[in-house]
Amino acid sequence: MNGSNIRKLIMLLAFLVIAGFAAAEFLDLRHYKETVVVSEAFTEKRMLSEWLPNLKNTWGDTPVYFYDSGKPGATVLIYGGAHPYEPAGSLAVYVIMENLKLNNGRVILVPRADMSASTQGIVGHAYPQYLHIPTSWGQKVYRIGDRETAPLDQWPDPFTYVHYPSGQNLAYQDLRNFNRTFPGRPNGTLTERMSYAFMELIRNEKVDLTIDFHEASLMYPVVDTYVAHQRAEDLAFMAAMLCQAEMPMRSEVSPKNLRGLTHREVGDYSETLCVLVETAEPFIDRVVGRVTEQLMIDGKDEFLQRAAEKGLLYTDYDINNAQTIDTRVGRLLTSAIELINVFNMMYPDRAIDLWFPRYTDIITNGMGYYLHNPDEAVPSRVFLN
Amino acid sequence: MVFLQEVIRHIYFAMTAFFGLLLLRGLFKRDTRKSLIYDIVYAYTIIPFLLRALHIR
Amino acid sequence: MSMTLQTTYTLAAMVATFVISSWKSRSPEISMVITAVVGALVAGFGFPVRLLVEGTLTYIDLALQFITASLFMNFYAEIGATNALVRNLVARFYDNKWLMLFLLAFVMLIPGAITGAGSVSILVVGGLVATVLEFMGFPPARRAAFVFIMAILSAAAPPINLWAMLMAAGANMPYVGFNTILLLPVLAVAIFSVFYFGRGTKPKPKAEVLAGLPSAARGMTWWRLALPFALLLLLILLSQYAAHSIPVIGLPLTFLLCAVLVMLLDPERRGLKRWYDVTIQTMESVFPLVATLVSVGVLVSMMALTGVRGLIAINFVTLPIVWIYVTALLFCPIAQGSLSYGSAAILGVPIIFRFNSVGINVTVVTAALALMFPLGDCVPPSRIVARLSIEKVGFKGSYMEFIRAIAVPWCVLAIVALTMLIFPRVFVPLTM
Repeated sequence: MNGSNIRKLIMLLAFLVIAGFAAAEFLDLRHYKETVVVSEAFTEKRMLSEWLPNLKNTWGDTPVYFYDSGKPGATVLIYGGAHPYEPAGSLAVYVIMENLKLNNGRVILVPRADMSASTQGIVGHAYPQYLHIPTSWGQKVYRIGDRETAPLDQWPDPFTYVHYPSGQNLAYQDLRNFNRTFPGRPNGTLTERMSYAFMELIRNEKVDLTIDFHEASLMYPVVDTYVAHQRAEDLAFMAAMLCQAEMPMRSEVSPKNLRGLTHREVGDYSETLCVLVETAEPFIDRVVGRVTEQLMIDGKDEFLQRAAEKGLLYTDYDINNAQTIDTRVGRLLTSAIELINVFNMMYPDRAIDLWFPRYTDIITNGMGYYLHNPDEAVPSRVFLN
Repeated sequence: MVFLQEVIRHIYFAMTAFFGLLLLRGLFKRDTRKSLIYDIVYAYTIIPFLLRALHIR
Repeated sequence: MSMTLQTTYTLAAMVATFVISSWKSRSPEISMVITAVVGALVAGFGFPVRLLVEGTLTYIDLALQFITASLFMNFYAEIGATNALVRNLVARFYDNKWLMLFLLAFVMLIPGAITGAGSVSILVVGGLVATVLEFMGFPPARRAAFVFIMAILSAAAPPINLWAMLMAAGANMPYVGFNTILLLPVLAVAIFSVFYFGRGTKPKPKAEVLAGLPSAARGMTWWRLALPFALLLLLILLSQYAAHSIPVIGLPLTFLLCAVLVMLLDPERRGLKRWYDVTIQTMESVFPLVATLVSVGVLVSMMALTGVRGLIAINFVTLPIVWIYVTALLFCPIAQGSLSYGSAAILGVPIIFRFNSVGINVTVVTAALALMFPLGDCVPPSRIVARLSIEKVGFKGSYMEFIRAIAVPWCVLAIVALTMLIFPRVFVPLTM
C-alpha cells in the first residue's frame, strides 16, 4: 500500500470514529425507554396494533394505557407525542398517567402517539436528544424526537403528498406527519396506518371525547388555543372561558379545507368530539437564538423578546416570565380538565369524575413533584415506554 | 401494498449502501479532484450513506 | 455578553472563515464544513460531534435524487440515445431559431415543474439542451445561464412549488390556489428570457451541425428514445394522480427504474461491466453536488445551533414592512443560498404571518416569496443549482461571468416577484 492510500485510510478511519461516536448517541435515543409509574386507577396496557394488526412489530406500534373504573361514564382519549419535537404533550400525558384518580368512566392515554418519530431527532435543526426533568428523588429523562415519523421506518417520501381520501396536495414530508395523515388507510404508508389504527381505536372503543396535545411556535396564530371540530365548537369555546381563571386560552374551529389533521378528520370519520390543544413553545420558533436544552426548559430567548416587542407574536411573551416546560405542561393539563368539565355539563348522563394535577398545581409544586420514583414503586406499576 | 412498500423501503437502504460503497471506491481511486482536500471531502461524504445503510439514522 | 452580541460575533467569524477557507482550499464543500465547525467553536459549543454528523443527513434524499437522475441520463447517453435525440431535434426544428429555443425552454420547464426540483430539469435534460444551444451559437456563459434560469423557473412553476408548499405547511394553509399565480409570472419570465438569451446569436448551418453530430447508433429507433421518458412521465403522473393505488416509489427509485429500462432497451446489449463503468463515472461527476448537499446540511445545523439562523431571521422579520419590501430581494436569496429549502420555513413563514396580520392576501405573498427564494440558488455558500448548471454545460469561465450572464432575467424575475409582494391586491384574482 502506498503512502497516499495509507493517508486516505487514516482519514477514513478518523471520520469513521467520529461517525461511530454519533451513531452511539443515535442508537441510544432510538432504544431509550421512558419510565412511567402508573397511578392506582390504571387497569390495562394494550398495543395500538390490536386495532390494526399490520402495525405489529413495527416502530409505528405504541402502548395504549387503559384506566377503566368499571362504572358507567364517558370514555376520554388523551394523547401526546403526535409531534415528539413538542415534548410537553407527551410529558403532560405522563403526568396524567402517574396521577389520575378515576371514580367512573374510562380514560385511555397514549403518551407516544407517533412512537417512531420519538426515536430519532429532527435533522438540520440541532435539537438536543433528551429532556431532563428534576424531581425530589433524581432526574427523569424523556426523549425529544422529530416532527415526522423517522425516515428509517418510512422511506421514501413522495415528491408530493396526496392526502387520502381528499386528494389534497401537501408538502412531501407531511406523509410522515402523524397529524396530516388522518383518517389514514389500513394498507397505506406506516404513518397512514398509524392514523387509521387511531381511528379504529376511537371508533371501536366508542371514545366520547378525544384530546390531542401539541405545542406551537409563538409566531403561529394558532397558539394557546383549542382547535375543535365543528361538533366540538361549543365545548371548546366554553372550556376556553373556564380556563381564564388560571390562564388565557382561545378557541377556534377547524378549517374545512385543511385536510389530514385530527380536529378535521377524526371528527368527520368518527362520532367522537375532537379537540386539539396548542400551547406556546418558544423553542420551536425558528427565530430563536442558541438551541439548547436549557431553552427547551426555561423558554428564555432574546430574539423572541424582540419579536414580542415588535408585536409579531400571537401570545404574550416576557423573557423574565417565559413559557417554561412546567407552564406548558400545566397549560395542557388544565386545557384537558376544562374540556372534560364542560363535557360533563353538556352530557350529564355520561359525566366522568376524575382528578389529575392542573396548571396551578404544576406551577406551585413543579412537574417533578408529580413524577414518581420507579425504584420505590410496585414493579407492576412501572412501565417502560 | 404494505408488503410492496416494505420492499421499496429495503431497496432504498440497498441503494444507499451501494452508492456509499461507490463513494468509498472514489476515495481510493478516482480520476478527478485528486487533491488531499478532496480526500477529506470524500471521507466525510461517506458518513450519511453509511449511517443510513446501517439503519442507524 | 448578550445573545445578540455573541451571535453577531459568531456570524462574523463564520463569514470570515468561509471566505478564507474558500480561497485557500478551493473547495466550497469543505469550506462549509470548516465554517460550521468554527461557528460551533466560537459560539462555545466545542466540537458537537452528534450534531455535526446529524447535519450530514439533512439532504440525503436530495443527494440520492441527484445521483439516480444522473445515472438515468448517463445511461441514456451511453446507448447513444441522447445523440439521436439531439439529431432528431435539430433535423426537425432547427430551421426556426425561435421555435427551437422555445422548445428547449419548454423541455427544461417540465421536469422541474412536476417534481418541484430545478436540479432534476438540469440533470435530465440540461446536457441535451446545452448541446443544442451550442449549435445555435450560444457562448458558454449564456448556455449555462439559459439552463440555470429555466431550471429555477421550472422549480417555481406549478403544480409543485416546494417553497410554496413548505410555507403553506408551516402556516397551516392548504396548498390551493397557487397554479395560476405561479404559472403566469414563470411563463412571462421564461418568454422574456428566451428572447433575451436568443438575441443576436447566429446558429451554425444545419448541415454542418448534422455532419458534426455522431451518426445515430444502429438500431436506435424512436421508441427506444421515447420509452424511458415515457416511463418517467408515467411514474410521476401515477404518483400524482393515482397516489392511492400504488405504493410510494420516490424520485430516486423512479430514476433507477428508468435507468434499468434504458439498459434493457440498449440495441447493442452492453455487458454489466460497461454499465458499472458508467456508474463509476457518474458518481465521480455528481460527487461535488453530493458533497455540497452533505456539507450544506452540516452548515445549516450549526447555524441553527449557534443562533446565527435566528439572528438572520429576527433581523429580517422585525423590519418595518416597507423595509421588508426593500430588503426582501437581499434576505430571501441569501437565506436560500445558506439554508437551501430551510429558507421557506425560516423566513417565509414568519413573513406570511406578518403580512396576514395586516390583512394582506397570503396566497399572493406566499407565491411572491416562492418566486424569490429560487433566485438564491446562485448565491453562496451552497448555490447548488448554479453549480449544477455550470457543471452540466461544462462552462469553464469565472463565476462572475456566469452571474453577469444571468443578471438580466434574474432581475426581471426579481422585479416580478417584488411587484407581487408590494401590490398583492392586483394579483388576488389569479388565486381564484
